[in-house]
Amino acid sequence: MHHDHGNEYGSAQPSRRRFLKTAGVLTVGSATALTAVGCDPKASSETTARAARVPLDRSLLDALAVVVLPESLGADGVKQAVDRFVAWVADYDPVAEEMHGYGYADIRYLPADPAPAWQAQLTALDLLAQRSTKTGFMALSPAQRRDVVDAALRTQRGDRLPTPLAATHIAVALLAHWSSSPAAWNLALGANVSPTSCRTLNEAVRKPLPIAPAAKGATV
Amino acid sequence: MTQTGKPTVHETDICIIGSGITAAMMAAHLVEHTNRAILVVEAGTHTTPMRDRTTARARYVAYGESPWKSDHLDDQNATGMTWGYSPSMHVGGLAMHWGGVAPRYSPEDFRVRSLYGVGDDWPFTYEELDPFYQEAEERMGVAGEQGPAALDPRGKPYPLPPLPINYNLAQLQHWATGAGIATWSTPSAKNSVPHAGRAQCQRCDTCYPVCPTGAKYSPDFTWDALPTNRVTLLTETLVRRVEADARTGRITHVTGNRTDASGAPVEIRATQFVLAAGFVWSPHLLLLSRSAAFPNGLANRSGLVGRYLAGHRNVNAYLRLPMELFPGINVQHSLVSKQFMRPGRQSRYLRHDLRIWESSVGREPRLRADDGSLLVGDAMLRDWQQRAKGATARVRGYYDVLPDRDSMLTLDAGRKNRWGDPMPHVAFKDAPESAALREWQEESLRELFRRMAKAGNGEILRMENSANDLGQEHPTGGCRMGTDPATSVVDAWGRAHDHENLWVAGAPTQPTASCCNGTLTFAAVGLRTAHAIARG
Repeated sequence: MHHDHGNEYGSAQPSRRRFLKTAGVLTVGSATALTAVGCDPKASSETTARAARVPLDRSLLDALAVVVLPESLGADGVKQAVDRFVAWVADYDPVAEEMHGYGYADIRYLPADPAPAWQAQLTALDLLAQRSTKTGFMALSPAQRRDVVDAALRTQRGDRLPTPLAATHIAVALLAHWSSSPAAWNLALGANVSPTSCRTLNEAVRKPLPIAPAAKGATV
Repeated sequence: MTQTGKPTVHETDICIIGSGITAAMMAAHLVEHTNRAILVVEAGTHTTPMRDRTTARARYVAYGESPWKSDHLDDQNATGMTWGYSPSMHVGGLAMHWGGVAPRYSPEDFRVRSLYGVGDDWPFTYEELDPFYQEAEERMGVAGEQGPAALDPRGKPYPLPPLPINYNLAQLQHWATGAGIATWSTPSAKNSVPHAGRAQCQRCDTCYPVCPTGAKYSPDFTWDALPTNRVTLLTETLVRRVEADARTGRITHVTGNRTDASGAPVEIRATQFVLAAGFVWSPHLLLLSRSAAFPNGLANRSGLVGRYLAGHRNVNAYLRLPMELFPGINVQHSLVSKQFMRPGRQSRYLRHDLRIWESSVGREPRLRADDGSLLVGDAMLRDWQQRAKGATARVRGYYDVLPDRDSMLTLDAGRKNRWGDPMPHVAFKDAPESAALREWQEESLRELFRRMAKAGNGEILRMENSANDLGQEHPTGGCRMGTDPATSVVDAWGRAHDHENLWVAGAPTQPTASCCNGTLTFAAVGLRTAHAIARG
């Protein structure tokens, strides 16, 4: 969702600070892509970076989602949220130009492909589970998985979720991606507001209708 | 890279340099009021077409990608600024990604010296600009609500009905009224109803940076509608020098190069030349155009080209209020008040606007509870639902900053484009009276926000000033207008004092930048210049 700041408009752009933070975290996982695209950012994405895209382990991701996403979404709702996250990751265009409207004068670029680092973090969750419980992550109960995730995120600050692209751990990215959706905001607000969805102007004067209880877990 | 050889020569009646919103308005006016041929020269090229803007918006929302493709030249940029400046250089200029906010200045802006004893008066009044404001509003299609007549004077009604006061803004308006502040729907160049073949606003909330429906006005709509037998748009052509007759001062032609791979030289001959390239590139071109006869550049007998850059800063606050709001109904639309733009005589000068928005600040999801425990799953959602209750308002006041003579654009010999032209460097500087008042002005705004919070039984979540001093918002100046050639670059109509057929249009000519969004005024001032050109 768009968040407003002190200048004229809000900004969904990852900040310079976030870019550097993310780039730093991703260096190990995507050093090749960073180096390759650094030479010619405009020509990068369709060739080197996308060709090198690392797929996320869907089984591990599903096991993570059960712990991270609201269980009240139901199994279908969680699956839909993961489907959308996977599609979002796959369609990311590394080092595309950021919006440069007002606020800075230089041309800036989005971070490298986060998928390699995120896949490595999924693998690490499995390794951590193996070392701490002698059992794979997927075989753990949700409560045990939650403990592993808690341990993996112990250094993550939490006053506000980052944008998904700025998330430095896949568990946070998955949660942030879901919570940035209009449907998630509707659940939080208990009303059909659907932020950032194009819709009729004239209805804006009415108080948003409450979401139906049956729909609370049905739409993500 | 300097291309030599015989240039391609273009001949026309009126040559307009720049294709942004001021240029578009002027070209439309000139087509209707003259029979002359118009050539518009743009250094960049066309950016994302209307048909691709839905996809471009989706990628902006999903990833923060720029929706505007091929919108800048890598070696043509300015330094020294952050706020209020964009490196965008393409057909339509910065108004391809403006927010569409279109307030007028107030009558006081044109007479600050006479009324308050600070700054400088403009060489014309609000009343004289009123018909050109109206013309700009009609050409763009501005949707507006008539505010109280004493605060919002205008000769004719807004061309379009206002964007509705949505549910959130209605609650906030009730609060503002209780705090003694008159507010109304912010005038916006967005279709509140279908207009000019474009759709009604769908409150997609990405007006800035991209409107996917075409409801927000952008200059490409004007360029697409103008008759091609009267207006020629010459893209990918950078004008690098303006040439003047050493004896008469008349401009004879301009020269430049193609910005495509060829870099081929170009020469344009015309009877009238208009610089409509904004507050950076218009003075930059005049300073670049030095010659033996004009060693300080063109139009620069006063030595003021590039000087008196003006703008404004802001104080911004987030307030928690005991009411129920639903952030996301139409985040970019706001309430506006001009109450504080029209003060009576003051012992200390302060004029500012006031805007009020809904906000999601403080109501977002988080990863950790107050006790530091991890929030995931339903626990996270329950926490978010609790945080999302209530209301956050955002309030912000732009306050007028008076420019110093040394608030200026200079040529930076250390940064050059492919042809070796030094790029502009910009450094804003407050006039002494503004610098002395700054701390008190900002505290006055903070105190206003505290009073507003108290009136609504609310509390301040946080307050902040403009982030830094790297520029000011809605910048103007660099070719200021006036009646005295010793203290101004152009006359009251935008005609250079030193060159009878050279005009500077819009933002660069303004002596001050008021304390509200400036685009509508830039266009209105440009239309006044177009009127003078058409009149002959």
